Amino acid sequence: MKNAIGLILNVNGEDSSLKALLHHRSLSTLPFGGRYRLIDFTLSNMVNSGISHIGVVGSHKYSSLVDHLGTGKEWSLSRKTQDLSILAGSANNRIGHQMKVNLRNLQQSRDYLETAAGEQVIIATPNIVTSFDFRHAYEVHLKNNSDVTLIYKKDGPKYHLEDDDIYLDFCNKRISGIHYKKSLATKHFFAEMLIIKKALLLQFLDLCEYSGDWDLLDMISINLDTLRVFGVQHTGYLKRISNLESYMKANMDLLEYDIMQELFLGKASIHTKIKDNHPSLYRDPSSVVNSIVGSGCIIDGTIAHSIIFRDVLMERGAQIKNSIIMQKCKIGKNVTLDYVVMDKDSKISDYTVLIGKPDDPIILKKGTVI
Amino acid sequence: MNTECVAMLLAGGQGSRLGPLTFNNAKPAVLFGGKYRIIDFPLSNCMNSDIDVVGVLTQYRPYILNNYIGDGSAWALDQVQGGAHILPPYMGQKGGRWYAGTADAIYQNIDFIDNFDPQFVLILSGDHIYKMDYSKMLAFHKKKKADLSIAVMDVPWDDAHRFGIVDTNKEDRIVEFQEKPPQPKSNKASMGIYIFSWKILKEALLEDAGDRESEHDFGNNVIPMLHQNDKRIFAYPYTGYWRDVGTIQSYYDANMDLLDPHCDFDLNDPTFRIFSNNNSRHPQFVGPKARISNSLICDGCIICGQVEHSILSHDVVIHKNSIIRNSIVHTGAVIEDGAILENCIVGGKARVKGDARIINDELGKAPEIHVINS
Repeated sequence: MKNAIGLILNVNGEDSSLKALLHHRSLSTLPFGGRYRLIDFTLSNMVNSGISHIGVVGSHKYSSLVDHLGTGKEWSLSRKTQDLSILAGSANNRIGHQMKVNLRNLQQSRDYLETAAGEQVIIATPNIVTSFDFRHAYEVHLKNNSDVTLIYKKDGPKYHLEDDDIYLDFCNKRISGIHYKKSLATKHFFAEMLIIKKALLLQFLDLCEYSGDWDLLDMISINLDTLRVFGVQHTGYLKRISNLESYMKANMDLLEYDIMQELFLGKASIHTKIKDNHPSLYRDPSSVVNSIVGSGCIIDGTIAHSIIFRDVLMERGAQIKNSIIMQKCKIGKNVTLDYVVMDKDSKISDYTVLIGKPDDPIILKKGTVI
Repeated sequence: MNTECVAMLLAGGQGSRLGPLTFNNAKPAVLFGGKYRIIDFPLSNCMNSDIDVVGVLTQYRPYILNNYIGDGSAWALDQVQGGAHILPPYMGQKGGRWYAGTADAIYQNIDFIDNFDPQFVLILSGDHIYKMDYSKMLAFHKKKKADLSIAVMDVPWDDAHRFGIVDTNKEDRIVEFQEKPPQPKSNKASMGIYIFSWKILKEALLEDAGDRESEHDFGNNVIPMLHQNDKRIFAYPYTGYWRDVGTIQSYYDANMDLLDPHCDFDLNDPTFRIFSNNNSRHPQFVGPKARISNSLICDGCIICGQVEHSILSHDVVIHKNSIIRNSIVHTGAVIEDGAILENCIVGGKARVKGDARIINDELGKAPEIHVINS
């Protein structure tokens, strides 16, 4: 992967159902799975595949991104041979058609692309939960002498596809069509990861300036007949987080052993920012079943089917079900929570009962005190 | 370079009384309290005391220890000047040799210490569990204009015969040393933590090195020699939690203290944190039939069985139908379906088969601790 540059492009526009959780952070740094931020998956996948130069393009709300990534040390990206660059994007949002890969974000980082050592660029979005090794796709890309290689997945009952997923048609292994609408014929959807020749990407950037169309996939789609565009299938678990429903679902998916095993117990691990906290203390009596628990927690109560982040304090008699409790939350005595998403640093006082619905969980913004 | 105080951490000991726990690992690198290693305590104390030059003297099975300390960044010791330095025995023009004793280990590294031109040298050992702000002890040392300060704590009179005991006058000046005395004169026990004025220590080390009779040990040779020479030796009184973890029983008891809600040793104190060097791991996965009570559990664990009053290090896998009680399980151990373990210390990466039964069924008798090898 010596000749490859990794680019993580922040997606443009967020679904309003996540508004409360994205008030002060970008989708890429949304806390996930007990200790991670969404971007950890894409970033770790790139690092684990041997990509040594990675640029992360932000678009707005940088502070959480900069705070989380720091120098990139936790991903081994703070070395003389491996580096992480946080690049400035543009805060451009268009109403209506959501762009998948917005090249306007890259406009300001053209210099980075031109000077970075590498002929190929691997682009991925920061809001996909998956464990993927780019190496095989990269080999295929080089072998086919492809201009573009799109990573795709086969549609299945397991995947609740969203309206804004992108579908691919194939003809003799080459991609012959890129569609924004689902139809009966569509079987493969784009997994939001692609490999493109750097020269072509720079050419597209020039074209975007003239045409005013900044969507990379539009660009590829228009030029399908002249470019060599191939697909490589990703057979593992993949969940794209674009709204509250997919966020809840992906978190709860981790409670299924097979999915957890695939994401976390393989050879390649998902890295994140390290915090020095003590091991989690389970007091007596407490009952925890079917849950993910981060370190630094003190648990004194009942937890079922929930995701508990690091440093959560829970007092005697509290009951938590079907909920996501983020870092440093404090939960008082005999509190009952069911279908609640508690953002960081929130506090709930004794004897409070909060019960949401499976399709409409209660969301507590960061720092809420009840 | 000029540093006021350099810390020298004696981490070369084998810790043979810890048996299988130190077969391929130096004692300071033995796991404690789940995610910590014994050496985290002196290193974190240094960090909390603004001491940023630490020489770590290694000798016995140093690989895990060296790897763990790394560049010292886990304890904020990765500064430009100073930091953590691993000091193994080395070859010189006249050949080389192993560290023959605690004092010899420092003697062989006089050049290292001189490099920093310190006024004071703090000598620490890597086998105790405690929190201590050494800067307070240094202030005491300066105030008393001492040549040597020794940290001491009150131990129960019944136990005093097991320790090195010091007898002091009203000004905390030490008037007499007794090593494991049958009839102790005081109950002030030395904690093995010393601050020397470097000039005095260097002279003493040079003199001790020339003495063929000497065992080159601080407690037995160097300190008695300084006492004979009428140097100013003071006892710095320490109160708080302190445990020696030199034997299987004391190691087990100190671990279990962490599960005691009445114990005043708080690893969670934000004003005095204990740091450790750990890789990123996935969070704990607790299965649908798991039962966990009164336990400390680290990242990377997968728990599908029953865990009671136990401490699990990283990446431990507890299969369903198994029971772990009053036990300590080290990193990466796997307890298979159906195993029952009580009062055990399970070594790292051990695999306990499903038919294993270690049960303490003798009522009224203090349970024996079983160690399962790595």
